[in-house]
Amino acid sequence: MNKRLTRRDFVKLTGVAGAALGALPGAAQPAPNPPGWRGHERVERIATNCEMCFWRCGAEAEVSDGKVVRITGNPDHPLTQGRLCARGNAGTELLYDNDRLKYPMVRMGPRGEGKFQRVSWEQALDLFAQRLTELKQKYGPESVAFFPHGVASGFFSIFLKAYGTPNSAEPAFAQCRGPREVGYALTFGQGLNSPEPVDLEEAKLIVLIGSHIGENVFTSQVTAFAEGLSRGAKLIVVDPRFSTAAAKADYWLPIRPGTDTALLLAWMNVLIGEGLYDREYIEKYASGFGELAAHVREFTPEWAEPITEISAKVIRETARAMGEAKPAVALHPGRHVTWYGNDTQRARAMAILTALTGSWGRKGGIFLPTPIKTGKFALPPFPKSERGRADGAGTRFPLASEEQGVTNGLIDATLTGKPYPIKAWVVYGQNVLESIPQQQKTLKAMEELEFIAAVDVMPMNYTNYADVVLPEATYLERFDMPAVIASAKKPFISVRQPAVEPMYDTKPGWWIAKQMAKRMGLDAYFPWDTPEQYLATVVKPLGVDPAVLRVRGAVAFEGRPYIEDRLPEDGPLFPTESGKIELYSPMLKELGIDPLPRFAPVENPPVGYFRLIYGRTPVHSFTRTQNNARLDSLVSENEVWINTDAAMSLGFREAQRVVLENSEGVKSLPVLMRITEGIRPDCAYMVHGFGHESPKLQRAYHRGASDTELMTKVQVDPIMGGTGMRVIFVRILREGA
Amino acid sequence: MARYAMVIDLAKCVGCQACSVACSEEWEVPIGQARTHVRNTGIVGKFPHLTSTFHVAQCNHCDHPPCVLPCPTGATYQADNGIVKVNQSLCIGCGFCVEACPYDARYMNPRTNKVDKCDFCSARVERGDQPACVNTCTAHAKFFGDLEDPQNYVFTAVYEKHARRMENSLAAPGPNVYYLGKPEHVDLVLATFGPRAPKLLRPGDVWKRLVKPFVLAAVGATFVGQAIAFFYQLKTGEKDFEE
Repeated sequence: MNKRLTRRDFVKLTGVAGAALGALPGAAQPAPNPPGWRGHERVERIATNCEMCFWRCGAEAEVSDGKVVRITGNPDHPLTQGRLCARGNAGTELLYDNDRLKYPMVRMGPRGEGKFQRVSWEQALDLFAQRLTELKQKYGPESVAFFPHGVASGFFSIFLKAYGTPNSAEPAFAQCRGPREVGYALTFGQGLNSPEPVDLEEAKLIVLIGSHIGENVFTSQVTAFAEGLSRGAKLIVVDPRFSTAAAKADYWLPIRPGTDTALLLAWMNVLIGEGLYDREYIEKYASGFGELAAHVREFTPEWAEPITEISAKVIRETARAMGEAKPAVALHPGRHVTWYGNDTQRARAMAILTALTGSWGRKGGIFLPTPIKTGKFALPPFPKSERGRADGAGTRFPLASEEQGVTNGLIDATLTGKPYPIKAWVVYGQNVLESIPQQQKTLKAMEELEFIAAVDVMPMNYTNYADVVLPEATYLERFDMPAVIASAKKPFISVRQPAVEPMYDTKPGWWIAKQMAKRMGLDAYFPWDTPEQYLATVVKPLGVDPAVLRVRGAVAFEGRPYIEDRLPEDGPLFPTESGKIELYSPMLKELGIDPLPRFAPVENPPVGYFRLIYGRTPVHSFTRTQNNARLDSLVSENEVWINTDAAMSLGFREAQRVVLENSEGVKSLPVLMRITEGIRPDCAYMVHGFGHESPKLQRAYHRGASDTELMTKVQVDPIMGGTGMRVIFVRILREGA
Repeated sequence: MARYAMVIDLAKCVGCQACSVACSEEWEVPIGQARTHVRNTGIVGKFPHLTSTFHVAQCNHCDHPPCVLPCPTGATYQADNGIVKVNQSLCIGCGFCVEACPYDARYMNPRTNKVDKCDFCSARVERGDQPACVNTCTAHAKFFGDLEDPQNYVFTAVYEKHARRMENSLAAPGPNVYYLGKPEHVDLVLATFGPRAPKLLRPGDVWKRLVKPFVLAAVGATFVGQAIAFFYQLKTGEKDFEE
């Protein structure tokens, strides 16, 4: 009899409502190992949330003799159901990476040189607290900017809010999802959040605009995508590159970069002109249809053809396919969408198209989140800053998220001292040099700072610039705030909890934040002693026994994903000001911005130059995983894709190592060229995340090239501050030329 | 008796490598080696009329495994359920089987100097689990089961959906990993990664890798034996002759 089943059966019998569980000693239930299996006698299984990226798939760490011997998927996890991607499966190689940051350090040499001295936690935290106190006295708490990344930074975020700074920004907004969240919120009254609720598995038609699912792997999204296709969904892929998804598509539209909005407008033209849109849905739920119809009348497929280089015939055919499949059209809103600086308007066009096919809140389209109520601590109010935010969220960038902030806005403020000086940065797991473009600007800003603190797991290049480096325990060694996910068909809560004790002299983030709060007299913001207590408070209103949650890893609840399921307690369907889908946006009108999206041409590359586009490999997460031994062995460097004809005309007959030089003369590290038919002749494509500059990453150092390094200019979205990053032109030089 | 097989649906597979990493981590495959590979066929055709897909490769557990016969010690054998296994305690690392496999599904483990390969996760299957690769496949593109069980999806895939085997004119050993998907994708995989002709053994190979090491070992053992006897005698003295 398999003991694992017993545990699960037990949990099922006990139920979510959590009957008396006094007998349950803790999260870890020992399970006997099959005899002889890899020589490990007893294996404990600890359910936890993966953090090889930020999707938080359900993982189970198998622990033997205090070592994680294997990480598998957690079959009890409602979203990922026992599946893990390549990175998730390779988590142990992060835990046992010998290059990890191992103990607290203070900087000895010049910034960037990487010379540090080991200190005790006591010394490091005392220094950190002392500097923050001085900065507060001298310049006010707002002079400290916080650069967090991801959910793990939650406790640190509380600490810095309590300290008194409103200046916190993560690249998830201005370098990633921001335009999408704003564009959809303008239209439907709410953004999409993460994981984005795209009903790929139920779709009759999937439309990807620049999304490269398959190369961009979020386990449950890939599962749903493949499931949708195998149930017969048609697929339209708009991408200048023949991606993995494009290879599965019924229609691949190798669009001229920067012209997506023209395509979207032409699709609307056909849907409205031919009466293919969801008339009933639009009449019932939307406002501004008349204005929209008048607006798109001139944007015919024939108009769009020379702009997009997609034939009018294909534009019509694909629009008709949408009309036919409606409302089960899963138009994926994209994720990293800061491309050209007009991205909020493109996102608006996508949102409007979603409305025209009647897909928002419908099966096979975009489903609706079901919020779950968790317990909160009664914290003292956070101090209000009179000086406001320095990043321009809400002012210079009127619709930027104040929750997520504008990273580049904070860097600008650091450089200019406006609206007021920023004197210190606290960076938490955010690779500020590789995730934010205009690296030279970031470096210059860092030079001007009086103090930099870095909390991270790996010695990323930016940590070499910090005054204090605090080594965090990996996700397998720590508690984090539980994940509370509303944007799943069945909303759920899931936990991250330690499988093993922290290695070396590393500490979990919650401990570091709590210690700092204690030193600065901010204990009141951390009214709990252990993360177990924290968890118990959070789950209390859910009626979930924390012990059950910790055994299972996740507990799901009933969801109401479609319009017909909604209850009054879910609030208005479309929480816009008008309570309707705003096809025409009064809010944008008020701000003096086009209330209906319009195509604005982008600059094209000069002769001899290619537009630099970039994406992902399924084996790596941004810049985080290149040093992972297993993943490095699969993909150890990136390649630059160049169209065969374009390469021939430059005299390249076979793949070789080349250097990319942007129009401002900045050169990349040498990178392998991939000569392929699978890309338009006007683009060069590479995977983001390589070309690490930190020699302390012994595997990843100088492997491949960094796309970010070449992004010396950006096109900033005036609506929300996002940095359009596909505006870089490069030429290809022979190595050593 | 079961007859195990695997089916890979190329229409679903996105080449994410979850299977190969899960496999490597499950069986502690040395970094740089693999029991399961995922390879891209490359992009073929002329822009914009293109095709591309993935090959998920591993031991095929062939009906007539070309690796069994060349094994001089009987380490490689086929179990009754069709799974081809390597008995590690019998393997001498001669590598004949590695060359005999037309799918290059075997590798020499540098840590043990023995041959290793996919065994359909026999240990997991015996305890009622799915193979590690199937268990983790993000696209649910991999299926494992008993070809003699009409209720099993692999039965449906093979006998009703006519999933195809990677066979060509060079080698047709009856592989038990089957591929579903658009015909042009399966054709492309077969054209790109189809089996090669098994290498034939030359007399020199037998001498170099089997007889020679054996003779060396025998000679070495003789010397060692002599030495032990010598020291034993030194230590115990020549009692035997004292009488």
